[in-house]
Amino acid sequence: MESALTLDHFLIVSGFLFAIGLAGVLVRRNIIVIFMCLELMLSAANLTLVAFSRFNVHEGQPSYEGHVLLFFIITVAAAEVAVGLAIIVALYRSRETTDVGKLNTMKN
Amino acid sequence: MTILEIIVTLPLLAALVIGLGAPARFTALGASVLVLIMSLVTALRFSPSIEGALQNVSSRPLMQMDGFPSLSLSFGLDGISLVMLLLSAIVMVAAVLVSPKESDLKHSPRLFYLSLLLIGGGAIGAFCSTDLFFLYAFHELALIPTFLMIGIFGTGKNRLRTAWTITIYLGVGSLVLLVGLILAVIGLGGSTFNIEELTALASDAPMAAEMQNWVFFLLLVGFGVLVSLFPFHSWAAPAYAEAPAPVAMLHAGVLKKFGLYGLIRVALPFAPAGAEVLLNLVLVLLLGNIIYIGLVTIAQKSLDRMLGYSSVMHMGYIFLGIAASNELGLSGAVLLMFAHGISIALLFAMSGWLREKYGTLEFNKLGGIGKQVPKLGLLFGFAAFASAGLPGFANFAAEVEVFIGAFAGAQDGLGWIQWATIISLWGVVISAVYMLRAYRAIFMGPIPEKLEAPADICWSMRLPLIILLVALTAVGFVPELLNQFIRPAITVLLAAAG
Amino acid sequence: MDVTTIAWTVLLLPLIVAVSILLGLKRWSGLASLVSTGSAFITLFLCIRLAGGGDDLEAASFSWINMGDALQIDIGLVLDDLSRGMMLIVTSIGFLVHLFSLAYMKDDAGKSRYFAGLSLFMFSMTGIVLADNFIMMFIFWELVGVSSYILIGHWFEKDSAADAAKKAFLTNRIGDFGFMIGILLVWTLTGSIYFNEIAAAVGGVENAKLLNIAVFCVFCGAIGKSAQLPLHVWLPDAMEGPTPVSALIHAATMVAAGVFMLARVTFLVESAEMAATVIAWIGAITALVAALMALQQNDIKRILAYSTLSQLGYMIMAQGVHHGSDAGMFHLYTHAFFKALLFLGSGAVIYACHHEQDIWKMGGLRKKMPITFITFAIGTAALIAVPFTSGFWSKEAILEAAHHEHLWGPYTLAIIVAFLTPFYMTRLVIVAFFGKNRSDNADHAKEVGPIMWVPLALLAFMAVFSAYDFLTGPLMANGHADIGHLIGHFGLTATLSLTGLVVGVSAAIYFYKGKDKDPISIPAFADRFYIDEIYEKLIAIFQDGASKVCDLLDRYFIDPIVARFPAMTAMTTGSILRIFQMGNVQTYAFMFSIAVVALIVFLIS
Repeated sequence: MESALTLDHFLIVSGFLFAIGLAGVLVRRNIIVIFMCLELMLSAANLTLVAFSRFNVHEGQPSYEGHVLLFFIITVAAAEVAVGLAIIVALYRSRETTDVGKLNTMKN
Repeated sequence: MTILEIIVTLPLLAALVIGLGAPARFTALGASVLVLIMSLVTALRFSPSIEGALQNVSSRPLMQMDGFPSLSLSFGLDGISLVMLLLSAIVMVAAVLVSPKESDLKHSPRLFYLSLLLIGGGAIGAFCSTDLFFLYAFHELALIPTFLMIGIFGTGKNRLRTAWTITIYLGVGSLVLLVGLILAVIGLGGSTFNIEELTALASDAPMAAEMQNWVFFLLLVGFGVLVSLFPFHSWAAPAYAEAPAPVAMLHAGVLKKFGLYGLIRVALPFAPAGAEVLLNLVLVLLLGNIIYIGLVTIAQKSLDRMLGYSSVMHMGYIFLGIAASNELGLSGAVLLMFAHGISIALLFAMSGWLREKYGTLEFNKLGGIGKQVPKLGLLFGFAAFASAGLPGFANFAAEVEVFIGAFAGAQDGLGWIQWATIISLWGVVISAVYMLRAYRAIFMGPIPEKLEAPADICWSMRLPLIILLVALTAVGFVPELLNQFIRPAITVLLAAAG
Repeated sequence: MDVTTIAWTVLLLPLIVAVSILLGLKRWSGLASLVSTGSAFITLFLCIRLAGGGDDLEAASFSWINMGDALQIDIGLVLDDLSRGMMLIVTSIGFLVHLFSLAYMKDDAGKSRYFAGLSLFMFSMTGIVLADNFIMMFIFWELVGVSSYILIGHWFEKDSAADAAKKAFLTNRIGDFGFMIGILLVWTLTGSIYFNEIAAAVGGVENAKLLNIAVFCVFCGAIGKSAQLPLHVWLPDAMEGPTPVSALIHAATMVAAGVFMLARVTFLVESAEMAATVIAWIGAITALVAALMALQQNDIKRILAYSTLSQLGYMIMAQGVHHGSDAGMFHLYTHAFFKALLFLGSGAVIYACHHEQDIWKMGGLRKKMPITFITFAIGTAALIAVPFTSGFWSKEAILEAAHHEHLWGPYTLAIIVAFLTPFYMTRLVIVAFFGKNRSDNADHAKEVGPIMWVPLALLAFMAVFSAYDFLTGPLMANGHADIGHLIGHFGLTATLSLTGLVVGVSAAIYFYKGKDKDPISIPAFADRFYIDEIYEKLIAIFQDGASKVCDLLDRYFIDPIVARFPAMTAMTTGSILRIFQMGNVQTYAFMFSIAVVALIVFLIS
């Protein structure tokens, strides 16, 4: 099968995704957006995982371990999102803000 | 379970029970009295012979792994640790007895008694362990409660700072000690933590000379910090001055002896060549303890600090016995550990009482109170004379052994250690100077006008003092009571060290 | 009872009494004092039985420290002529102290404590006398120090008494510092602490230099306890104690312990020639200096105290003279009686003059207190060595011994003292007892009652006759009055000392007869050569100064360097690292990502 897509394409996309996510994490103030950016970074990692797995052809068959791992990650990530959102909600209830600039009580 | 395991476990168990809500003073007193009785029974059943130096042995293997020293929770007694056990048990009972009643404590009385038991229990565990790991671990166990006791129940404005100082100081000392111990275990093959086996290894396959020097140096510094060896002494006096009386008694009387015990039990047999090389260093440092700290003691203006420094000073004589490292010197050192432990506990108990009743321990604010509290004056006189090394008390017998031990083998002319002994004999004068000055300032002379007389010591205070004093005089009149245990153990130790 | 049992009873009975007073009897002070006095009587009685003679004997011993081959220290008793004689002096003087104290301390609040102290003193003194080894002697040596501390400081609420007690103990401690070194050196050289073993081994000691040092160090103990120069300063101050104590213990028995100790180790002193010479010199110098000081004192008890010092100097000097040890012990024995007599006589005078101690405020007491005067005069006669009194014979023996050994230096000093002693004692007698009354107190003085003068009369008898055979026979093997010898060898010594007596007495009569104030004024003598003041300065400079310096050093140097430096390092590191912890999540994330990138770059390249 002839395909124009190579591993490099996937990695470039994944890299962009990761960079966008990281930039979001570092510069955005709203904690929900930060959280979403974090998810973006996670997705970038997932994409890399699948891509490597797909292109790791062994005796004509791609390796599927990466795919399997991906499902685990998605499941755990879902749980993590639930926990993370719950923490954010709780945080908003007590501080009435979602601005990380104002959430710096660790400093003192 | 052997009786020894019960003795070690009981204070810790009692601390746990107090933590869970048992009546604090009652439980602590019960546990410590039981420990004392069982220790005395152990001593009576102890057969002082060279064969089978360790008795009441028990061992519970915990870890056997290739490439890692085997570890077991093991206890056992030889003459030296038996004497230390007796010391701990006696002082612990006295310390619990002089502790304030629950209702007199401002903060959590449960924490007070719990910590007290942990300090005592930690010391007992350390003295009875035959496993290097637990020897160290039990001593560490006692450090945290000491911090709490000084920080929470201490006297004086600086108590928190003092608590931090002593904890960090001793923590650093323990760290150095730990490095030394690890080095020693590795140097001796790294196959076991058992002290007896390590001692045998040290005589069969000794470490290289260079290694021995390092091991002994690290152990000397590490243990030295714990014993307030000059110049690592500056934690001791403020800590004892600001600790509540029972803690000062337990720490100065018992826990501090751990460092000396470690030197005799671990450092000397593991690295005998290192000990010989570093002998002159030890001599210089112990003279620092005796003469320099002795002079510092004279300059003190309040009883609590003076006693704190005096307890630092007297460590010098024990080091002298260790430096002699012969049968006589080492036996004297062990006996002096016992004697000093009891006598300093006695003095701290009384200074605590004085502070409580008079509100001050400064020499120029007190005076002539021998008329007001004659019974205390009498007992304090005994303790002061004991501490100054008067015959009739255990301190004297021990000091005689140390001095003669240090002089042994000088037939061909005086060596460094003999000169050090001669200089340190002047310490006997120094200690008489500060003890009599203090006694003169506090108990003799006219009574200052504003000083109101409290009631003389009551029985609940007299009892612990009398217990300590009886122990001190009994051993002073018949040193054989303890020497019979110490001597064979020292013989075995020296034979192992070659 | 066999001899061993008696010896142990004599030793332990006072201890048992002291302990039982301490434990319970103290509540009934009358009973306590009676029990204590009773025990003193029993020990005196037993010692008289012991004195009956018999062979030298080592009583069974109790093993105190048993270190196998390394060291054995026993508490063992030795009974020979020396210890028997000394025991008799100790117990008889001790019994007198007890008896006198019964009256003197009748209404004292601390009576029980006082008698417990007396019993402790008897116990420790007995221990010194009976000891068969150095360590045991040292033990009791220290205990004597303790009991003297308790007794001098009996009225501890007085500053002067409290200070005097402390001074006595500490001065003795300095001597004991040397004593202990001496014991250790002797042990090193001879391998033993037992007197009989040392005696056997001392001949084989090759290191003569060290032996001399050792003997001198041992002698340091005697310097302290027998108040020789330069450690004499405590004895005059010790007069702050109750009079029976200062009179009898600090004049007759306790201070004699140093002399006794040297007599016990004569074999050591004799084998160390240099040290022996030093001993003789120090004794002679002490005798002279103390006599000079006595010349200008005005307090009756202080004059006697300095004369005690002077006489102790004689005894110590005798110990340093080859073959002079017996003469020294002989003088100790006669001195004990006439000095006790003089002190009790002064006690009676002080008592009669309403606690007036200044002799210039007495005067004319001869007519008011005839019995006291006569006994005091007899005591004085013995002290200034009027022929045929006991003091004459014993002093003669010491001077003869020094003369015989050609120790000219100490001999000359001793002869000078023989001129001075009659002078200051005659001065005392003339000023206090003759002339006219110089104060109201002296005017109202009356003769004391029989409870006080009977002991005086007894002692006066002893002061004259104690040197003669019928009294010394059982006690002193080699010391007794020997008239035949004197007549046969009437030589330089006897001539000089008789001249001294005549010159001293007549000079004193010439200067002091009918005077109302001291015609001679030599401040250096009156102020005891400023030795006390010099010592105070020295202590202030060296001990207190050094301790202050050390204290400051500890506070501002050692503690900062050893304790604070590590603490400061930890703190500084912490505060630097804290800059990076600003509490902002995004900054953490940024640093984290930078670090990850750096790590990756590092790993890849």
